[in-house]
Order: sequence, then structure tokens, then C-alpha cells
Amino acid sequence: MQCGLVEDRLSGYVERTLSHEEMVEVAEHLQVCPRCLSLMEAIGSILVACQAFPSYEVDTELLDRILLRTSGRPRTRSIRERLRTYFLQPVLTPRFAAGVGLALLTLAFLVNMVAPRMNVLASAFSPRELFRQMDRGAQQLYSEGLKLYDTKNEWQAWFVFHKNIVLHKLGFMIEQMDVPIEGNKKPAEQKQPEKAPGQRGSIVWLLTA
Amino acid sequence: MLPGDEKVVERCLRGDDAAWETVVNQYAKRIYNLTYRYTSRRDEAEDLTQEIFIRVYQNLKSFRSESGSFQSWIMKVGRNLVIDHYRRTRRYQQAAGSEEMETMNLRDDKIPSPQRVSEQSETSRFVAAGLQALSPELKEAIILRDLEGMAYMEIAELLGIPEGTVKSRINRARLELAKLLTKRRAQAGLQV
Repeated sequence: MQCGLVEDRLSGYVERTLSHEEMVEVAEHLQVCPRCLSLMEAIGSILVACQAFPSYEVDTELLDRILLRTSGRPRTRSIRERLRTYFLQPVLTPRFAAGVGLALLTLAFLVNMVAPRMNVLASAFSPRELFRQMDRGAQQLYSEGLKLYDTKNEWQAWFVFHKNIVLHKLGFMIEQMDVPIEGNKKPAEQKQPEKAPGQRGSIVWLLTA
Repeated sequence: MLPGDEKVVERCLRGDDAAWETVVNQYAKRIYNLTYRYTSRRDEAEDLTQEIFIRVYQNLKSFRSESGSFQSWIMKVGRNLVIDHYRRTRRYQQAAGSEEMETMNLRDDKIPSPQRVSEQSETSRFVAAGLQALSPELKEAIILRDLEGMAYMEIAELLGIPEGTVKSRINRARLELAKLLTKRRAQAGLQV
């Protein structure tokens, strides 16, 4: 096959759209013709390069211009785009960035001055220190319990003591009231036998019991 | 035709602005990339994209779904405007040869840095510069087939030529580019 005929078929050979016989003939020619071989390789490289060509995105401003000049209606914007246009773009400015940077720096200084040191915090939260704190807390709780118990006993003793005093006084007063007055005794009452010490008024007996 | 395209066009014709916005959102990227391939300049590509959509909007009534897909119709409108633009600006000139190719650079000074960075690979630069050196019809063939990934039949429909002619034109374009790049590689000793 002549070089001219092979050149006419090179694209078909690279794309493998030739018939089987033509593919064989071209391949045989390429084995003996370095010029056609280099052309075939160059075509292959071109096709690969064309596939790697970037596909460009359309600028949204261009879409806006097209729509405004045709239908006259502004482009429908997504929520994300609206957020970016109306909130983020006005906010995210160099001035805002500088302000945020200064605020963070100030905050860092304040934290450094006011906040406790990390090593102190770390030692305070170590297991050993935690255990010690728990033990101290338990001991304190136990001593507080003991104090409360003592107080309760004191109050109880005080109450019993005063209760006894009051009851004795009452018992004495009732006993005094039970003594009969000479001359005012009725005959029937005089005939009544004297009560046994244990059979005095039930109230007195209860109080003194 | 993409599903629902015909209905969307009908809604546009009834004055539904939301439907027109759907059309713009759906085809803007493709049209923009097509114009960018032709012009290699961002500002020109943006202006052309805008012009194309204005033309499409004004001529929506002339679209007939029987005569082809909406996408092909938009691409035809776009291609016609790109050709008009080249004629108007006198930049639709044929250039060939490695010497001219060497002097050509990507003239886009407004490409955002990520785009520029991605185009910095040697092969991409070779291909981009080589495209500028090709004749308009060969450049168009490469753009539509290898950069836009259109099928031979779609290209034939778009250009209004037989499919066989499309294939031979694409082959010629690739050969031309391959010869330029081989010559350049031999001169510079660079790997393509």
C-alpha cells in the first residue's frame, strides 16, 4: 500500500473503524514506513490531548446577562447562591477577616491571663488526685453524719429531761389536788375505804408511771 | 433531541420564562465551550454565546422538530454566528506551517488561572496552537469531532455535507495537525 493511501486511512486505523483487511494492510505498511508510523503516533497523541482538553464552566454573570437581554427575567438563584450573594459575600471581606483575627487574638490573651494553667488542671484531674478528693469527701461526710447524730442525741436528752420535769410537776400538782379538805367531807365519802397507793386517780397513775 | 426539549421549546414560545431559563442553563456550557474553541478568547466567547442565545430566542418560532433536533438547531445557529464573527473581525484566515504555528500563542489573557494551569501541558498547548494554524474548515472538523465529541452523522447534519466528506475532512485535519506537530517535535526535540 502506498503512503498516500495509508494517510487517508490513518484516522480510521486509529479509531479502528476500518475493515479487517484494511487494518492488516495499514499495519503492515506501518511496520516498514517510519514516516507514516510517526504520523499515526502523532494522531494518537492529538486525540489523547483533545480528550484532556478542559471543559469550561459558564460564568453565572454571563447567564444573568443572557436572560436579562432575552426574556428580561433575572436568573433563578438557588438557596446556596442567595446565601453566598446576600450574606457571605458582604460579610467575608478583608476588613471582616482582620476584625475576626484581632478579636481572636484578644480572646487568646484574655484566656491566657484568666484561665488556669493546663498543668494545674491536669494534675487536679489525675486519678490519684481524684481518689484523694473522693476520700476526703467521704471522711467529711462521715464526720458531718457523726455531728448530726450527736446533735440529735443532745436534743433527745434535753427533751426527755424537760419532759420529766414537766411531768413530775404535773404529777405533784394533781397529787395535791387529790388531798381531801377537813370538814367538807360527806358521810358517804367518809365511809369509803382509803384507796391503795396504786389505786389513786388514773391520770396521776398514768403520769407517774 | 433530549427528552422534553420539544415541550420546553413550546413553553418558551408561549412566553414561559422559566422554560427559557431551562434552555439557557442546559445549553450554555456547550455553546460557550464551542465558541471558546473557535475563538480561544474568553471575552469573545462570552460575547458570542450571548449573541447566539439572543438569536436563538428571537428565532425560536423557526425551529421545526421534524427537520432535526433542537440541539443541532442551536449548534447551527451558533456556528453561523461564529463564522459571521470571524468574517467581521477578519480573523478567519487560513494559516499553515510550523513557522506560523511557533509564533502563535494562546492569546487569552483573561483565562482564570485554573483554566490556564490545566492548559499548560505541552501537548495541549501544541494542539491549541496547531488548531489556530489550521484552515477554518479543518479546524472546525477537529473542534466538532475531537473536542466536542460529536458523531459523524451529527457533524454531517450540522455542516450540511455527506458523512463521507466529514470523515475525510476530519482525517485531513488530523493529518495536517499531526504533520505540524511532528515537524515541531523534530525541531524542538519535545515529546508530543
